[in-house]
Amino acid sequence: MMQWIAFLFFASMTLMSALGVVFLSNIIYVILSLLSTLVMVAGIFFVAGAELVGALQLLIYAVAIAVFYVLVLTAVPWEKALKKDSHYRVEGVLTFPILLAFYLEIILVFLLGVSVSPKGQIREFIQNLGNTQVVGSILFSKYFFAFELVSLVLLVGMIGAVLIGRKEDKTYEDSTS
Amino acid sequence: MKIVPLEAYLILSVLLFGLGVFGMIVRRNLVAILMSTELALNAVNIAFVGADSHLGLVDGQIFALFIIALAAVEAAVGLGIIVAIFRLRKVESSDELRDMGG
Amino acid sequence: MEVLIVLSPLFAFLLIGLLGRRLGDLPSAIIAVLGSVLSFIFSIPALLKALNSPFSVKLYDFISLSSYTLTLGLYFDPLSAITTSLVCFISTLVFIYSIGYMENLFGQWTYKFYAYLSLFLFSMLLIVLSDNLLGMFFGWEGVGLASYLLIGYFHQQKYATNSAFEAFVMNRIGDWLYLFGIFSIFYLFGSLNLLEIFSKVKEIDPNLLGLAVLLLFGGAVGKSGQVPLHTWLPNAMAGPTPVSALLHSSTMVAAGVYMVARLYPVFESAPQSLKVVAFIGGFTALFASLAATSHTDIKKIIAFSTMSQLGLMFLALGIGDRSSAMFHLTTHAFFKALLFLSAGSIIHAFHHHVHDIYEVGGLKKHMPITYATFFVGALALAGIFPFAGFWSKDLIIASSYEVSFGLGVFVSFVSFLTAYYIFREGFVMFYGPERHREHFEEEPHEAPSVMLVPMVVLAIGSAVVGFFEGWYMSALKDHKEMHLDIAISSVVIALLGIGLAYLVFVKRVLDPEKLYQSLKPVHTTFREQFFTERLYHKILAGGYMLYSKVLYATFERQFIDGIVNGSYVVSSALGSLFKGLQQGRVNLYILFLLVGFSLLVLITFLGGR
Repeated sequence: MMQWIAFLFFASMTLMSALGVVFLSNIIYVILSLLSTLVMVAGIFFVAGAELVGALQLLIYAVAIAVFYVLVLTAVPWEKALKKDSHYRVEGVLTFPILLAFYLEIILVFLLGVSVSPKGQIREFIQNLGNTQVVGSILFSKYFFAFELVSLVLLVGMIGAVLIGRKEDKTYEDSTS
Repeated sequence: MKIVPLEAYLILSVLLFGLGVFGMIVRRNLVAILMSTELALNAVNIAFVGADSHLGLVDGQIFALFIIALAAVEAAVGLGIIVAIFRLRKVESSDELRDMGG
Repeated sequence: MEVLIVLSPLFAFLLIGLLGRRLGDLPSAIIAVLGSVLSFIFSIPALLKALNSPFSVKLYDFISLSSYTLTLGLYFDPLSAITTSLVCFISTLVFIYSIGYMENLFGQWTYKFYAYLSLFLFSMLLIVLSDNLLGMFFGWEGVGLASYLLIGYFHQQKYATNSAFEAFVMNRIGDWLYLFGIFSIFYLFGSLNLLEIFSKVKEIDPNLLGLAVLLLFGGAVGKSGQVPLHTWLPNAMAGPTPVSALLHSSTMVAAGVYMVARLYPVFESAPQSLKVVAFIGGFTALFASLAATSHTDIKKIIAFSTMSQLGLMFLALGIGDRSSAMFHLTTHAFFKALLFLSAGSIIHAFHHHVHDIYEVGGLKKHMPITYATFFVGALALAGIFPFAGFWSKDLIIASSYEVSFGLGVFVSFVSFLTAYYIFREGFVMFYGPERHREHFEEEPHEAPSVMLVPMVVLAIGSAVVGFFEGWYMSALKDHKEMHLDIAISSVVIALLGIGLAYLVFVKRVLDPEKLYQSLKPVHTTFREQFFTERLYHKILAGGYMLYSKVLYATFERQFIDGIVNGSYVVSSALGSLFKGLQQGRVNLYILFLLVGFSLLVLITFLGGR
């Protein structure tokens, strides 16, 4: 019962924060709403029993990525963006029906699919060992290759981000030679 | 652990994903577009974790882990690009970035 | 071996046409002359061989259809072989003459002229020698093309280009009829080969045959300038004089007569059609003679006389006398070409500035040789003994008296008019006051010898060819007797015509000017060719031009241009519509992603159900 209430609380907060992300005009408010969303999503993860993922979500998303965004917001003078220029009104109105249709479709798919999904086999392990240990054992055995690949991608992304964001020392007079 | 039905997670995930995509379409500010992308990714994570809790597997959580890591990379690179665009063009909204248009 | 008769002018044409610019004008002229001479030389042995036994030479299988093969080949029998030698001989002489005539135009791409002339010779030989109607049609079209190119040779003059166009279009009308004639022949006989046609001619229904033959004759009407397709022939004088001498007097226009003579067995089996031939021929003969009496252009009078003599030839063919018609064709070739060459010599003497007989006068003492050759030609045309025209015209008059007395009188009247108008031209130009002094300062000089030699050769020919009548007739397996009374009466009538011209124009018994003024309406009617020319030009051609202008303004501009312009508008609109999909903004792209994704899910969902 507790879980249901917790889930409802976290879910509604997530949705409201997401609405804030989408619809608020002031960019500072938007980043704050994003932060709130990320924290609430971590709460949902905890409700679902995925403690490791929830903790990592908090650490990586709610801390590191939010800090990225705040950093960029300070490096670039965003405050001068006008309030009334923050959204595309026309596209928004046009997109709404498409979005609605999308929602209906996906929900329908999910509802139909849920009834035919298979059941799992390792519930006992989780109850015995705890979530983190089980995740670790699966991660480093079955998904080891993917794990290494992701770390490679992280490395490449880091190098790329550094390169892209670097300030050019010399200015080129004209680009055609 | 099975009190919260799977449908709930999935519906939440769908709503969040739609909001994220909507935000990508509607917002004019470049950083805001990226933030909406984060929303969408989180929605997918919720779906994975919810399915996981329903099924009793942990594979979905591992995948959610990867998604988190990759989302971090993508945010870093994307923000680097935005900073470079701003340095080059002094623009911050996607209105002015129409070079490849017809 | 005999193939070279046809191929040598073709080679000359190709050589001059491709390399003429490099070779220059005089070498091109010499190549053309060589081409013609070689044809003549090769035609002699073929002639000798064909006199005894006609033979065919097969050249080429052209297209083979399922049941019939179209071929190209040559057929040598006395008729075609003699005509071949005649054509080659006359054309050689005219080619040599043209070297002198066109010499002031050398250096201005005159090699084109010789290329066209060689093309003409090749096509004419194809007509004469071909053994089936298809080859004859190729040559038919080829001479029409060469005629167009040559009449319009002075292409900067509007009159010349208009005349060339008129000639081509009228020829075309005739060719169209001719083509239908060929279709009918093929339909009736199942073959286009002459020998096969001749062998099967008795089996075909005469009425259908008559229709086919009349269609073929329509082609001859166009080609030979008979009424009603006649207005192009006087206007064709806009071309250089060698062209008039060769094409429009002795060879090309004779192709119509030749064609009827060639297909004579077919014509004979449909007697009604022969009556049509005779009627048109006779009508044209009178018509052209009347027109010639009132024209004053140097070459047009001679052109009308060509039309008239061809009419006489068709008349002879129509009354059943093929050999007289062909013999008259042969002698006519000589003296008509001679008359044209003499006229050209006068035109050349005044550096191509004169056109009217009243612009010159008293040339007898300035150009004696031209005077002599012109009068030899005129005497031959009038039919005075012993010149060639006498023999051939006498045969025709005799045949017409045999048919009916009225017809004989008709032909005699035409020959009276003939003698009158040709001597009118001769007397006005060579005797009388020197009218040219009013217009030109320099003295007219005699033509250079390169022009005089062919003229003299033709003059000798005009005098002498008549004596070959007996040989000619036996070659064509016919026999003619001389009717002394008709001979004498025809000479007398011709002398009457000459005398009338002499009295009026030399002795001035009646003042020609006053005569013309008093008879002005009659004279104008004759002059305008009974207003046929005006009819054709203004009403038929003008009406068609008006019709096409109206159609252009309405249908073409509004409808067709509207569609074409409209397609631009439509495609431009579509383009800008699709352009809107690619704004360059990321947001729109994401929207499309969403749309596409929804569609995919929808399809999967519907498919999986």
